[in-house]
Amino acid sequence: MPSFKHIIPFLSAGQNKWSRWFSYVGLGVGVLLLLCSIQMFININHLLKEKSSRKDGADFISVTKTITNENMGMDNRFTEADLKEIKSQPFISDAAPLISNQFRVKASAGSIIPFSTDLFLESLDEKFLDTVPPSFSWKEGQTDVPIIFSSDFMEMYNVFAPSQDLPQLSDKTMSSVNIILECYTPVGVQNYKARIVALSDRINSVLVPNSFMQFANKNFGGVSSVNASRIYIKTIDANNPQLLNFLEAKDYRVNKDKTKFGRVKQILQAIVSGMAGFGVLVILLAMLLFSFYLQLMIAKSKDNLQLLLTLGYSPKWLSRTVAKNWIPVYISIVLAALLFTVLFQFSFQHFVMYEREELSPLPHWIVLAVAVILLLLSILTNYRLIRKLLYRLGEKM
Amino acid sequence: MQILLDKVLPVFFEPGKVINSQVWDKTITFSKGENIHIIAPSGSGKTSLIHFLYGLRNDYNGRICYDSTNIKNFDAEKFSVWRQQHISIVFQDLRLFTEQTVLQNLEIKRFLSPFHAENNITAMAKRLGIETKLNKLCKTCSYGEQQRIAIIRALQQPFDFLLLDEPFSHLDEANRRKAMELMEEESRKRNATIILADLREIEYFKSERTLHL
Repeated sequence: MPSFKHIIPFLSAGQNKWSRWFSYVGLGVGVLLLLCSIQMFININHLLKEKSSRKDGADFISVTKTITNENMGMDNRFTEADLKEIKSQPFISDAAPLISNQFRVKASAGSIIPFSTDLFLESLDEKFLDTVPPSFSWKEGQTDVPIIFSSDFMEMYNVFAPSQDLPQLSDKTMSSVNIILECYTPVGVQNYKARIVALSDRINSVLVPNSFMQFANKNFGGVSSVNASRIYIKTIDANNPQLLNFLEAKDYRVNKDKTKFGRVKQILQAIVSGMAGFGVLVILLAMLLFSFYLQLMIAKSKDNLQLLLTLGYSPKWLSRTVAKNWIPVYISIVLAALLFTVLFQFSFQHFVMYEREELSPLPHWIVLAVAVILLLLSILTNYRLIRKLLYRLGEKM
Repeated sequence: MQILLDKVLPVFFEPGKVINSQVWDKTITFSKGENIHIIAPSGSGKTSLIHFLYGLRNDYNGRICYDSTNIKNFDAEKFSVWRQQHISIVFQDLRLFTEQTVLQNLEIKRFLSPFHAENNITAMAKRLGIETKLNKLCKTCSYGEQQRIAIIRALQQPFDFLLLDEPFSHLDEANRRKAMELMEEESRKRNATIILADLREIEYFKSERTLHL
């Protein structure tokens, strides 16, 4: 069978060089834009991922209702319906209320540390705790109560302790301090011995076992069910824009630290998506320009192509042979764009991000896959276009 | 291979016009190996018949079958298979690539389904007296020379049928004989059929059947 070199003298392929080269450059720029955008999208995801407070691959954030001047006097606690709605959101894996004490509690540390303060207590489902020691349980009749204490509170105590002539405490000594919990009941004060069994980085609170809280609220506060002021949420990604939008729409407040990357990420991703969209547009325009070039070439070579078909050349073979001629061109264009993407990613990781380990100096496999898909798509589109034009000529014979 | 014409009549013909025709509106079969001479005055549809047989046009009623298949059902792909292997043609209007050289015109046909080696082209060109034109642009050749190029091109492929539509109109007597001799020789090599359509009888064409259109 003859090859393209036998056919080329019969085609006006050398014409319209400008439009051909413009379409090549356009295609290259478009592919580069798209590949770099995808890579940047992946980079942003890697760089702005919340690393702390993760357990079982999930983020935990506490949510309260925003207190404004308008709603200050009202009950701003979460109802059962609120909790149910939060739990039903697809981006929220689980949620649980933080139940607070409904009676007055005072804590003192005895004679060694002459310190006494009014205190608040909260309890939370154990699934949401980062550190749950086996001793964190309470049964009715027990006189000592285990406590999980916030690391932040511990730090605050150590900051102001010297000025109050109190001893600073290490994490270990903290657990050996005997705290007296004075619970005010309708019939007098009930004392419990409290012990700090663990420190929590995640929850800014003083936590007691659920069983103790239920017992004490019922018996000391006279309340059996309590609406929570705080809800604890478990989510795959605290920076998920959908989650942030939901919280914003409901006027819920979150710990800004946990989600501060969310908005930045949202904006950056929007910019990068826009860039990718622009890349796709440039690719489409380049393909359109190239298709005009092909149509013009085939229109100018119409008589010759028609004669070739008359002489017995098969339209299928002709379109394959003509289309095959552009495969190396497409491969070169996509490879060049890919090479620039590799350079871009390497430079970004090396010079901009100073070799941060979350980033790979090489493009992500998705970028390579997209490059391959784009290559196959351009070859296929090109082939189909030429085939269509030639079959049309064949029909007119 | 066989070609069947079953009551073929151009759509643009009035039925009364073809009463005396031995081809139009008749059922005839052309079998491989027998030469057919079709004699037709101007305007009797000679070129139309050759184009119908080659599948270039289908504005006729009736059926034309290659073997037992109606060629009206063929697509361009199917025709290409028959044109590469079974049926070759010399058009009255020649249909050459005028912007290409004579050699390119011949080679583009030979590449497709080579029956001859490359050097046979030169030998044939020499026989018909156009060997000096091989590297010239086709458009610079005279019509007579172009007719000989079209004849040599038709002989570059295997075929069962060779369709000739007034192939010698611009050749002198000596060149006509040479060309006919070459075509008959090539046809014999393939045990093929020549269907020659012309205005008048060509006495040196040895045909088994003569049909008046």
